[in-house]
Amino acid sequence: MKATRIVEAVLFASETPLAPAEIARASSDLTPAQVEEAIGELCREYEREERAFQIYPLGDGYQILTRPECATYLETFDSITRTQRLTRAALETLAIIAYRQPVSRMEIEELRGVNVAGVLRNLQERGLIEVVDRAEGLGRPLLYGTTRRFLDHFGLRSLDDLPRPEDLQITLRTER
Amino acid sequence: MRLPTPVGSRVSESDDPFVVDIERFQGPLDLLLHLIRSQDIDIFDIPIAEITAQFIAAIEGVEQRLTLERAGEFLEMAATLVRIKAQMLLPRREDMLEEEDPRSELVRRLLEYELFREVAYVLSDAEAERALHRGKGHVEPRPPPDRMELPLELAMDELLEVALSLPAPPAKRPHRAPVQPITVDEKIELWFKALKQKARVPFKSFIRRWKTRVHAVMSFLACLELAKRGVVRLRQQRPFGTLWIYRGESDEDR
Repeated sequence: MKATRIVEAVLFASETPLAPAEIARASSDLTPAQVEEAIGELCREYEREERAFQIYPLGDGYQILTRPECATYLETFDSITRTQRLTRAALETLAIIAYRQPVSRMEIEELRGVNVAGVLRNLQERGLIEVVDRAEGLGRPLLYGTTRRFLDHFGLRSLDDLPRPEDLQITLRTER
Repeated sequence: MRLPTPVGSRVSESDDPFVVDIERFQGPLDLLLHLIRSQDIDIFDIPIAEITAQFIAAIEGVEQRLTLERAGEFLEMAATLVRIKAQMLLPRREDMLEEEDPRSELVRRLLEYELFREVAYVLSDAEAERALHRGKGHVEPRPPPDRMELPLELAMDELLEVALSLPAPPAKRPHRAPVQPITVDEKIELWFKALKQKARVPFKSFIRRWKTRVHAVMSFLACLELAKRGVVRLRQQRPFGTLWIYRGESDEDR
C-alpha cells in the first residue's frame, strides 16, 4: 500500500497526536522521514479537495483536526467540560512554568505574589503540568514542568513557539 | 501574533484608577501594575508616596471582601510599599548614592510579573485558537433517544387505564411446611392388625400402599419400636433382601 494511505489510516484512527516515529511503526518499510513526506502530501491533498479537516502539528506529533471554520457547527455537540477554558490565575502560572521550568512552587509564588497551591493541583489534574524533578537543598521542593498535553492544549509544536520576552509589547518598559 | 490589550478590557467601567474591583485582580502585583500603567507612570521612577496611598485606598476593607489568605497577600504588599517609602525619606549621604535605589527590587518584580502576565494573554489567545480545532472523538456517539426522556404527555386517566389492564402480580403466600398427620403409634396399630391375620408379613407389603416417603419411614420406625419391645421379630436373609416381620413369641398383650 502507498505510504500516504498507511499514514492517513493511522492518523485517522488516532484520537491523540502521533509522532512520525510512532506512525512509522505501522509498516516495516516506513521511515519517519517518509512519514513526514506523506503528511506533507496529505496536507496538500486535503487543501486541494477542501476537506473539513487537516493534519496539524501538535507537540512532536501530528493529528487530524477539523478546520476552524467548522467550529460553529460542532459547538452544538460541546459538553460543558470540553469547553472549559483556563482561568487567568492558571494561565499566569502556566506561563511562568513554561518559561522557567523546572520551577518550584515557591519561585512561582514569588513571581506572581500570590499562593499557587490550588492552581498547581488543578493544572496537575488536567495533565498540563507534572512534577519533573526535586530541587537540591532544604526540603527538596518539587519542581514542575509542562507536559505534552500542554503543547496540545495551546496548539504549540514546541516551547520555542512561545513568544520571546523581547517580542512582547510591554508598554511601560521605557528605558531611561 | 496579535496581542490583546489587557488593561482596557479590565477597567472599562471606570477611568478612575482608584476605583477598582479588587476581586478582579490576580494579586498585589497585578493591582500595582494597573495603578502604574493607567496613570502613565514611568516604572523606573515610581512616585512611591503617591502609589502607596493609592494602593492602600484601593485595598481598603480587603479583609472583608477576600479570604484571609488573599487579603494577606495585598496587605503584605502595602507593608512593603510603606517600607520603601520610609527608606526613600531617609536623608541620603554621599556614599549611599552608590547603593541601590530602595525601589529597584520592586521594579524588578513588577517587570518580571508583567512579562508573564503578557505571556498569559498570548496563551489565552492560543487556547482559543486551538479550541476551534476538534479531533476525533469530539462528538460522542449518542444512543437513540430514550423513551423515558420524552416529555410526559399522558393524562392521569390514561395512565390508570394502562395500569389496570396489566395482570395483577401473583399474590405471595407464606410458605408453610406441611404438618404430617402420620405417627409411629398409628403404624404400630396397623402392624398389630396385619400380624393378627398372618404369622409373618413382608415389610414391602406395607409401604406399597402409600407413596409418600414419610409413610415408609413411619412404618419402619414402628417395626423397630415393636422389635425393641419384643413384640415382633425382624428377619432379613441377605442385604437388600425381603424384610420379614414375624409375630413375637412373647406376645403379652394379645
